[in-house]
Amino acid sequence: MELIFLPLILGIIAFFVPTKWVRPFGLLASISILAVSIVHLINFNTSDYVMLFNPAEIFPLGLTFKMGYDGLALVMVLLTNAVISIILLANWNREISSNARFTGLTFLMQFALIGLFTSLDGILFYTFWELALIPIFLILYWFGKQDNNRALFKFFLYTLLGSLMMLLSFIALGYFAPNYSYFQLVQANFVGKEVAAALIMGGILFAFAVKIPLFPFHTWQAPTYTNAPMAGTMLLSALMLKMALYGMIKWMIPIGFEGLVYLKWPVITLGGIGIVYGAIIAMKQKDLKTLFAYASISHLGLIAAGIMLFTVSAIEASMIQIINHSIVAVALFLCAGIIEDRLNTRNIDDLGGIAKVAPHFGFWFAVMTFISVSVPFTAGFIGEFVLIKELFTAHWVIGITAASTLVFGAVYMLRAYQGSMFGPSKVTVFADLKWNEYLVFALLTLAAIGFGLYPQIIIDFIKPSIQFTQELMSGDLTLTK
Amino acid sequence: MDALIIIFITGLIGLFVGMLKNSRLTLAVISVGLIAGFLSMYYMNDYQSIFQSYQGLQFSRTQHMFALLAIGLTFVSVLLGYTYFKEDEEHTSDYYGLMLFSLTGALCLIGFSNLFMFFLGLEILSIPIYVLVGIQKGNSLSSEASVKYFFTGSFATAIMLFGIALVYGSTGSFEMNEIQMALDMGMSHSPMLNIGVLMMMAAFLFKVGAVPFHFWGPDVYQGSSNAVMAYMASVVKLAALFAFVHFFNFTFHSVTPFVAGLILFAIVVSLFLGYLSALKQTSFRRMMAYSSIANTGFALFAVLNQQYGEASLWIFMIGYACSTIALVTINMIVEKETDNIANWKGIGYSNPLIGITLVISLLSLSGIPPFTGFFGKYLLLSSAFTNYLPVVILAIIASLVGAYLYLRLMVLALSKEGEGNKLKMNLTQIIVLILCLGGILGGWLVLLI
Repeated sequence: MELIFLPLILGIIAFFVPTKWVRPFGLLASISILAVSIVHLINFNTSDYVMLFNPAEIFPLGLTFKMGYDGLALVMVLLTNAVISIILLANWNREISSNARFTGLTFLMQFALIGLFTSLDGILFYTFWELALIPIFLILYWFGKQDNNRALFKFFLYTLLGSLMMLLSFIALGYFAPNYSYFQLVQANFVGKEVAAALIMGGILFAFAVKIPLFPFHTWQAPTYTNAPMAGTMLLSALMLKMALYGMIKWMIPIGFEGLVYLKWPVITLGGIGIVYGAIIAMKQKDLKTLFAYASISHLGLIAAGIMLFTVSAIEASMIQIINHSIVAVALFLCAGIIEDRLNTRNIDDLGGIAKVAPHFGFWFAVMTFISVSVPFTAGFIGEFVLIKELFTAHWVIGITAASTLVFGAVYMLRAYQGSMFGPSKVTVFADLKWNEYLVFALLTLAAIGFGLYPQIIIDFIKPSIQFTQELMSGDLTLTK
Repeated sequence: MDALIIIFITGLIGLFVGMLKNSRLTLAVISVGLIAGFLSMYYMNDYQSIFQSYQGLQFSRTQHMFALLAIGLTFVSVLLGYTYFKEDEEHTSDYYGLMLFSLTGALCLIGFSNLFMFFLGLEILSIPIYVLVGIQKGNSLSSEASVKYFFTGSFATAIMLFGIALVYGSTGSFEMNEIQMALDMGMSHSPMLNIGVLMMMAAFLFKVGAVPFHFWGPDVYQGSSNAVMAYMASVVKLAALFAFVHFFNFTFHSVTPFVAGLILFAIVVSLFLGYLSALKQTSFRRMMAYSSIANTGFALFAVLNQQYGEASLWIFMIGYACSTIALVTINMIVEKETDNIANWKGIGYSNPLIGITLVISLLSLSGIPPFTGFFGKYLLLSSAFTNYLPVVILAIIASLVGAYLYLRLMVLALSKEGEGNKLKMNLTQIIVLILCLGGILGGWLVLLI
């Protein structure tokens, strides 16, 4: 209960906090929300299915208002809360963090995200999915670059089109399940109607593919990221995209499993194209933020392809990659933000020799680069290795395509690093890191290496939920929830 | 029935109180009357009415809900009009009186049980509106709108009467139950009946303002004042749509398949023509008129939904009417000499109440959950899903165009450039905004009861 509504209440309060107090209020509030979720974590046994709301009656429209979490959802909730705290910390010395509207909208977005991760009802899921769009839209509009309406409209309408397709799918699902409870939807029987299942799945996939973004649906991403403020980009790439990946694991595949045969290879192919395409475009970029945006397409293509395999180890690896991608996204966009803040440019051509002037920043940027190219002992290594192995088992062509990400990733990341940090000293003045930036980098590194050395801690949470879902799908489980 | 009489008498009293030229007193009298009407409608089944034996008006559960909604929306429109009406000292009470008379017509149109009462309601609803539209005598646009609306409206009424005559001719009764029975037995199906139903449908499409009978909409909305426009977009539309749905879901339900194709055509054309024309408008009221045409297109799905048509329409209309009234109120607060949308620039950024109301009403109109507008559209579309899937998909594409329209307005109003531009609001306007906000946020909770 407090897990879901605390961000909403704090978000509404945040709008009325005087400007002087907004910054400490925001950070403290986000840490208190994180603390609440940690309390939930401590009381959680890995095989539990905790229900937050579980009304017995069924409301009109097939609404059930069920909310709750399993290991998978709890990991996502913790990730959200931790990342929001980190984002607020990373923005501590920026003007945006003392803006009451920004802080309030961030908490409202957190509310929508936590609601999405804990909802166990189709209509609730859709509601929170749409709700998360509004705060981020306002953040991008108010705090982004001026005159970016075109990119914004594209972003909003594209996502809305996806959502409407998902809505159609949910309406259609209403004819296959008695109500919209997650458990009923998963058990919906499509035997003999595989095409219907595939169509329903396709509608839901459309929404997710736009948000991830998968290869042909990605055109909104780069302009939106480039025009957004640093905090907005972080929120988008570290959290918004994860909604879609989570939705694929928890909702899309279990619901339309009978139709998976039709969609599995198309999506894996698109993921594979995305891996290569994103990487090649990223190699040519001059703007650091655009470069990281395309790198993101490449990374997420791999995760999406892995999820479509829907084997236990592929899902575990995808979850590790999801967490890793959040870490990398925050870290890299912070680096781009730091450079833009101090030099007013993100163009690699204008940069060079920063490491000489600001050695501490040079060091931490290097660490973040290594984390993002997944060197061993970081979480990314485990995730990518297992994903590539699983894809290789499925088909060797896609395995090789996926494995190219290791090479390409190193190429574009090291080029970006080398071009901005070393080379001819074009930059002579560069203020080194501030305390909050040190702290953010240290925390992120700690997390990446921690999960890299001991990924079992994530797997312990994911495995029982995946197995539970698979049992639910095969109908072995008598419906107790 | 009692509510009807209370409201009618309040309207008369209001006209006399108006002679005192005390606008607050008039508003108080009218409000008390409306609240009394609301309560007597609400507790309709709990006390012995003196008009027990009268069978012309019967309120079933859904009709009861519609009647309550109509009274509530009239109350909001009256509050909304207060600031504007009081400036026109000579006519202050005329506005209130005419609105209340029109409301009695709306209640007849909601509760009718025979064709006679239905026609009476339709006329009582429309005639005060012709006057209200043309009441700004100095304004040429207003006179034009009034004349246009009156002539086309009378024409539609004539066609409606012709249709009623033909239906009567083929079924032999004015009573709705008897007509339905005659049709259900399958004895009275004849070309004459079909032509009669078709004529009634055409007149209905005119009254609700759907394509291809929509031409009066933009001109009339532009010519009338904000408050009258809000009243037309909410109560008049609600009553006309309800009567339409009630006719085709109950009385004519065996004939409905015969006209379903035409209604589907009207839906699709209304949606696209409404939203696409709205994109090109620079005047706020014309834009809202086209948006209302498009929303009528959505509402017409209720005609094809026998089972939950009326309930879905109720939810849809509370979302649509509250959003429209909220936007019109904001337009009234902003309005300078011109009715240009450009006036809206930045108003939402510096006035938090306006900003929140505006964002939520526009999101509700675009059909984004968890606002009432979403649930209305969801109910309407999900019931049409199996039978009319292509139309539903077209409707979804149209609603994307609509979302673009509303989003553009939202972005304009939330622009940072208007910072520090504080607008003056009256207490009544604040109350209206808060009431509308409540309707948009909480209207769908009625589903859970």
